[in-house]
Amino acid sequence: MNNNYEVAIIGGGIIGMATAYYLSKKGIKLVVIEKGYIGSGSTGRCIGGIRQQFSNHTTIHLMKQNIELFSQMEDEFGFNVEFYRGGYLLLAHEKKMEQEFIENIKIQRKEKINVSLLSPDDIKKLVPHINTDGIISGAFCPDDGQAFPFAVLRGYKKIITENRGDFLLRKEVVKLNKNKIFSITLEDGTKIEAEKVLLSTGPWTRELGEKVGLDLPLYAERHEAMITERMPKFFEPMIVDYRSDGCYFHQLINGQVIGCYTPVPNVPGIREDASFEFLPNIAWRMTRLVPSLKNASVLRHWGGCYTMTPDGNPVLDESEIEGLYVASGMSGHGFMFGPAMGKHLSKFIVEGKWGMDFKDFSINRSFKINSEHLK
Amino acid sequence: MKEKVIVCRCEDVTEDEIVEAIQSGATTLEELKRILRVGMGPCQGRTCGPILVSLLARELNKNPKEIEQWNKRPPLKPVHMKIFVEE
Ligand SMILES: Cc1cc2nc3c(=O)[nH]c(=O)nc-3n(C[C@H](O)[C@H](O)[C@H](O)COP(=O)(O)OP(=O)(O)OC[C@H]3O[C@@H](n4cnc5c(N)ncnc54)[C@H](O)[C@@H]3O)c2cc1C
Ligand code: FES
Repeated sequence: MNNNYEVAIIGGGIIGMATAYYLSKKGIKLVVIEKGYIGSGSTGRCIGGIRQQFSNHTTIHLMKQNIELFSQMEDEFGFNVEFYRGGYLLLAHEKKMEQEFIENIKIQRKEKINVSLLSPDDIKKLVPHINTDGIISGAFCPDDGQAFPFAVLRGYKKIITENRGDFLLRKEVVKLNKNKIFSITLEDGTKIEAEKVLLSTGPWTRELGEKVGLDLPLYAERHEAMITERMPKFFEPMIVDYRSDGCYFHQLINGQVIGCYTPVPNVPGIREDASFEFLPNIAWRMTRLVPSLKNASVLRHWGGCYTMTPDGNPVLDESEIEGLYVASGMSGHGFMFGPAMGKHLSKFIVEGKWGMDFKDFSINRSFKINSEHLK
Repeated sequence: MKEKVIVCRCEDVTEDEIVEAIQSGATTLEELKRILRVGMGPCQGRTCGPILVSLLARELNKNPKEIEQWNKRPPLKPVHMKIFVEE
């Protein structure tokens, strides 16, 4: 292996892998450097939900492309990535939330997203097991869905390898310098040179950026998830309860139910531990909505990170250091953002111009205006 | 025809599939688990875990003791949600 590359991608999560995949299709000489194994960061801990129901134009536009890209993966990879359109059902328990859904639906429909506001009766028809007490309405898009993160990563890895992209696994980047070109030092002392570098290192991006003097407004939070045994399929959509003591969960196509909640207050830091309070809490929150889940058996419970920014939108841009790109701050949406983001970013890295407007994700924005309401 | 050997009964995964995953780069139980869902069934790997360790050792020419154990995830044994909800 020669240690000179056109592009070095640091971080083998969904963002780094999607970008490497599209770069490899353009014949770029690249390496993916990952301190664990592919998917060992947040991507392997996520629950695989994919939705287009956002409030920010850029995000909605990007997600529309993502649904398309997920649907093409089986053909591109030669195996099934468990992409399935079961829809996303967002619940409103208060007028304020409902009003927000109505506003968002207007924006989403401009992007031709098939979304509508459902009454409690419609919701009951869609999910017969749901307890509609307190629900006043729900926003539903049947084209949203799910995919299996590890299958997607495996597909990317397969094609990147076929296109002669290199992988350095279990190698942590400990130093990064730029002197005309980039010099990357790995923990074992190996040096890699690259003309361009992408930091797709999730919650670790802030500390890596600091090594080259970047001050990135990225903050890690711990989020936990759990999965049950398989059960006969009994509901289709991802159910999102936006109350402060809400939760979100769906049934995978193999029948397992997988779910999370957003803790209030949040739990800051790069942490992957699992708390004692999570299981009692999620059990209560999920069975409040779907009482028949009382008989479901929980198999596993784990923790992982969301990487946050002050305004809830990601950072996707070239930094002030020419040739150094940053893609992080994906909040709870990095998996679904990944494919189209990687595609756009690969074009930007190669051609120096964006194929769509990403100023809402720019590195120099004010980070003050909260333009994404559907966290 | 070669006989199919099921290693993980819960997730229905064969020896051939495991060997193929190891040959394409998996070196640990954590990776096999992610690629094939082995060890993620109701028994949480109590049945297939030791066989997976010996397959990894055999394919990687290592001593089984050198194979990294997988992270134990709570609750260790399946529990009904209702035990958290009902008094
Ligand atoms: C419980 C939970 C549920 C979620 N549910 C969803 C969901 O339903 N849908 C969705 O879209 N998103 C979901 N997410 C969010 C999603 O997982 C993340 O946004 C996404 O995985 C981020 O991908 P990434 O590539 O940016 O980061 P990561 O996957 O974290 O990848 C970064 C990689 O960089 C590597 N790395 C870091 N530092 C170095 C270094 N110095 N040298 C070498 N390598 C390094 C890490 O090992 C890691 O593998 C969820 C997250 C959690 C925790
Ligand atoms: S036999 Fe593999 S998880 Fe049970």
